[in-house]
Amino acid sequence: MRRLLFAVLILAACRPDGRTAGRQAQRIVSLLPSFTELLFAIGAGDRVVGRTTWCDYPPAALSIPSVGDGMPPNIEAVAARKPDLVVLYNSGPNVTAAQQLERIGIRTVLLALNRLEDLGPAARTLGRLTGLEKRADSLAMAMDSLLHQPPPTSSTSTSLAFVVWDNPPIIIGRGSYLDQLAALAGARNVFADVTAPSAQVSLETIAARNPEWIAVLSDSAAPPSFARRREWRAVRAVREERFLLLPGSLFGRPGPRSGQAVRELRALLERNGVGAQHAAPLHDRSRR
Amino acid sequence: MRWTLLGLATIGALVSSVVLGPAAVPLGDLFRSDIVWNLRAPRALLAFLVGGSLGVAGASLQALVRNPLADPFLLGLSGGAGLGAVVAIALHIPGPWALPIAAFVGALAALGLVYRMGLIGGAGGALDPRILLLGGVAVGAFAAAITTAIVSLADAAELRNAFLWLWGGLSAASWDSVLLVALYAPIPLIVLFAASRPLDLLALGEEPAGYLGADVAAVKRRVYLAASLLTAAAVAVSGVIGFVGLVVPHIARLAWGHHHRALLPAAFLGGGALLAIADTVARTVVAPRELPVGVVTALIGVPVFTLLLRRWTVA
Amino acid sequence: MSALLELAGVRYRYPGATRDAVAGVSLSVAARQFHAVLGPNGSGKTTLVRIALGALSPLEGRAVIDGQPAAGWARRALARIVGVVPQREDNLFPQRVRETVLLGRYAHLSLWGRERPEDHAAVDRALAACDIAQLGDRWVWSLSGGEYQRVRVARALAQEPRLLVLDEPGMSLDLKHEMGLFELVRALVDSQGLAVLMITHDLNLAARFADSLLLLSDGRPVASGAPAGVLTQEIVETVFSWPVAMQTIDGRPQMVPLRQPKESPA
Repeated sequence: MRRLLFAVLILAACRPDGRTAGRQAQRIVSLLPSFTELLFAIGAGDRVVGRTTWCDYPPAALSIPSVGDGMPPNIEAVAARKPDLVVLYNSGPNVTAAQQLERIGIRTVLLALNRLEDLGPAARTLGRLTGLEKRADSLAMAMDSLLHQPPPTSSTSTSLAFVVWDNPPIIIGRGSYLDQLAALAGARNVFADVTAPSAQVSLETIAARNPEWIAVLSDSAAPPSFARRREWRAVRAVREERFLLLPGSLFGRPGPRSGQAVRELRALLERNGVGAQHAAPLHDRSRR
Repeated sequence: MRWTLLGLATIGALVSSVVLGPAAVPLGDLFRSDIVWNLRAPRALLAFLVGGSLGVAGASLQALVRNPLADPFLLGLSGGAGLGAVVAIALHIPGPWALPIAAFVGALAALGLVYRMGLIGGAGGALDPRILLLGGVAVGAFAAAITTAIVSLADAAELRNAFLWLWGGLSAASWDSVLLVALYAPIPLIVLFAASRPLDLLALGEEPAGYLGADVAAVKRRVYLAASLLTAAAVAVSGVIGFVGLVVPHIARLAWGHHHRALLPAAFLGGGALLAIADTVARTVVAPRELPVGVVTALIGVPVFTLLLRRWTVA
Repeated sequence: MSALLELAGVRYRYPGATRDAVAGVSLSVAARQFHAVLGPNGSGKTTLVRIALGALSPLEGRAVIDGQPAAGWARRALARIVGVVPQREDNLFPQRVRETVLLGRYAHLSLWGRERPEDHAAVDRALAACDIAQLGDRWVWSLSGGEYQRVRVARALAQEPRLLVLDEPGMSLDLKHEMGLFELVRALVDSQGLAVLMITHDLNLAARFADSLLLLSDGRPVASGAPAGVLTQEIVETVFSWPVAMQTIDGRPQMVPLRQPKESPA
């Protein structure tokens, strides 16, 4: 196995233009936490030689060397890992970074990952690139079926609003996968009429639409700081402290655990208790 | 006659701020509505106070530095405030008032630096308005550079939102902030109104103004500090809202000339009305989304300013 | 008659300079007196006026206005006694003549109070004294140089001063307006009993209109007193380094500069 690796490296070094279509990637740098999770989920975790500082799941990923925060990607740090494949999120600055990497002979792939429907294709692509098509395909099927599962029937449909920033107030709209998570969990995003993934709105709009829950990405169990501000108390959910506190690692990005995210969100909503509902962070799950 | 019009415009602006908005509140429910009383009313009042403060600060500064292009944000205050705010966000300083206090402190630091730079002849010297302008630009640029460095090194997502705050917004308006500004602003405002006649004299030049009886050194100091303190509070509470301090004094001068005893109050009312209207537009024009109010004031201010420039070049 | 303005042996050197700007200068101006200060460029005339007005403190000697040290006067109180027409002024903003003359009333107004009828009356009197009452509603930028200069004098008069100080008022005025200005100043001295101190370049007009001259050279006084005693041929030729011929008109010395003969190559 090691000799094969060595041979691959020699060959890669000899051909500066590393376009080796069809060859399985053996040394992968992942520049997005979702891709890191996908790679581990399809069994390619041992081939990941570089990750970003944000890549914190699964725990095994933490022992992989970091190449920086990836915004924008640090070309030298990536190249120092001597990868034969770099997986990047498809965005403007990353296109430039990919071009730079290709110029020094490192193969790159840019994948879109904005909404849940992007998960299947991403998994399949990674499967193809690593030769782990079978596992990738079954993972992709599971993630596709997540999209098509019927939302839970409940007597009342719960409404929520995702608030990502308070001053000025920024909410999540229909274009974001968070909106999809909410829908799958049986909740209605009061800002589903906003097509953009996120948008600034007036506080009075939030108050007028009167969501039953305010969802925030938070790793702590305490209500967000804006809960104490006087003007936010015009929103009923803030006054009654009906917050859904969702840990960033699980809810902050689409990935193989999105199904779990939906289940946990649904559980929180069905609990319908008073006070801030905290989805316990992963290491606490066993105690719930 | 013109005062009547201005008064009507002000009342109209305030009323429309309270009546109009993205949340449909039927007129009948207006007085019982929580949204109106706890969100729209304080927001309208805050817009009025902030806009008025910027208008008066702008008019005073234009007279002080004898430059019609002076804007309260030329003095480096916005750079300092932005830096303060970004530092507070990057260090995750807790508390609902962390952002305004940090912005205010940052603005004061910039004020101190520029003031010290503007004192020619050491600590006991007189203020040189040209150095105030240049120093303000330099300090502002320096603060902006440090701000950008912090943003590039720290958590990108949160700090992107800090820039949205900097663009200007009254979304944090509450009766608390209205009370704060209402208690704070009158003092610098009174100082500026009291300096109306000396500012008239200053238009002739510092030497002639002194011979006519003005204590020029004291007037410069007071006007600069009062105008800066007003601006610092405005930035702390609502970010950088441009063009109000620049354009409103010029519009006011069209009707009231350069007589500062009338110009400064007119600039206060006009600035307040303008910002209240701009905020209403920001809240309603792309509802349910909201534009940053600094964008609306720029979109209104630039065409008005261009028209004014044409008037000058034609005259 | 007690002097309204008195300088006694003043000396001043600007910080960092190698020579004194003025040294050993004495001057005394009382009511109904028109004093002119003359001298070539750099002779210290403007410095002298700044010392006289308390803007600079002399290193030696005294500057006294109405019995108090000049530098000790508060700006506002001084403006009620001394009206100054400085050399330079730019009025950035458009203004009408009445408005700009009204600015002269600042020292008499209270902080929050409005302009009173007596303030407007003082403006009227000042405009009349300068013979520009009919220009009251004109925009300042539409005036000729001579008219604008009269407006500035009127503004100083609106202060109701006892001493009027003018710094090179005739500069850039044409003959008619310059003569008119000197006649105006003379009339103010004679009819209103003002004390006047004027810095001027114009030797001849100073000699014709002023009661007393002070001639400076390199900051030091060369001669002072009645014009006939100050503007003698030797003195003028020495101070101004140019050959002149002297005439007498209306009992006052007038100097006529001579053409420098061309040096013919030997």
